Amino acid sequence: MYVYLYDNFIRHKKFAATVKAMEINLTDYGIAGKIIRLNNYTDAKPIIEDEIKRGATTVVMVGNDHTFGQVLSRSATCETVFGFLPIGPGNSIAEVLGIPVGVEACTVLSRRRKVRLDVGWINNRYFVAQLHVLPAPLEVLYDERFRVTANDLMEMVVCNLQPFYWKQHKGDAETQVVHPQDGKLEAFLRPLTKKRWWGYTYESPSIFPFEEMEIRSAEPFTIEADGRRTKEIKVKIKLAHNKIEMIVGKYRKF
Amino acid sequence: MIFQKSSKMPTDVIETEFSERGTPLVHDEVETIVGPSVNVEGDFASEGNIIVKGTVAGSVHTSRHLSVEQGAKIMANVRAGSAQIAGEVKGNMKIKETLELTATARVLGDIEVKTLVVEAGALIAGKVMMPGLEGVEGKGLRNSRVAPTKKVEEIPPMQ
Repeated sequence: MYVYLYDNFIRHKKFAATVKAMEINLTDYGIAGKIIRLNNYTDAKPIIEDEIKRGATTVVMVGNDHTFGQVLSRSATCETVFGFLPIGPGNSIAEVLGIPVGVEACTVLSRRRKVRLDVGWINNRYFVAQLHVLPAPLEVLYDERFRVTANDLMEMVVCNLQPFYWKQHKGDAETQVVHPQDGKLEAFLRPLTKKRWWGYTYESPSIFPFEEMEIRSAEPFTIEADGRRTKEIKVKIKLAHNKIEMIVGKYRKF
Repeated sequence: MIFQKSSKMPTDVIETEFSERGTPLVHDEVETIVGPSVNVEGDFASEGNIIVKGTVAGSVHTSRHLSVEQGAKIMANVRAGSAQIAGEVKGNMKIKETLELTATARVLGDIEVKTLVVEAGALIAGKVMMPGLEGVEGKGLRNSRVAPTKKVEEIPPMQ
């Protein structure tokens, strides 16, 4: 049995046609199922656990990167197969998973090509898409083997499934991309140096693939994991191998 | 390659496929980049290629390619599959295949390598050892040097 978790934003009129076409496609494939609408503050884990008890075999998230992060950061431990139907803007994870945005995603879902994915683990919770540490005087210890520091502030992004887009300078026309790779987490570090009297400039970035990392700082720093912000002093990030069973496309990037 | 301009695709990709929508998909290899204003201390090891633009102290180990760019400093013993040095290395280097020293390279330490390429202007202070010369070295030593004679006195066992 399939259960579909619709994000709140797809109630909007402009997505109505796509959603309707998707529902028709799913019915044609014989994989239509129960629809549950998520709200901004809904915890997906108890909902999914209830549905598994009622016989759900596949839980499909319908929305964008935010929906994906919101659902899986809570329910990564649930023993079920996850699917994803990307709709609307802000869908970079779908590309990594090889799922086309819109109605064609139903075909990928119907083929049920299952792969076990790694997720990031941070201080007793999971993150699926991306972790962002805002600029702070950080000290990073990788795999308990080497230490990385910068002279001043340092910004950090850890990519799991969501690629990170960045620009060398503010005015740059070309955007550069850090592609995530399965089997490792990618830490993207950008030190900041003071620019004359005020302001900071970004230095050339560093990239470290890792499996375990500890971020420390003398003062609290802000982290944003799958869109949720918290303040921490010490953070341990690990890679949990093969945690989620997910339906992916043939042209996935890993 | 991990870094890439979104508009251009890199030429040295391992495998390129085309998706249903016609956009090329790139399978990257794991690469570690140490930026210019970053300091790394400790046992720095990676499974993939390493590019050093900053400072590394401790030890560096990779089974693949190591690239030390101009202005970069490594104060560590280095073990790598192959390497290209344009910066400064203070420590012993053990390279499996090819070591390339560019004009701006400075190496203070012993080098053990299979193939060495040195550009004019590169500075080396240390011993260079290459496999395949062990026998020749032995013969050469036998011919050129005379071992110092040592007097060995036999001490009779105590009664």
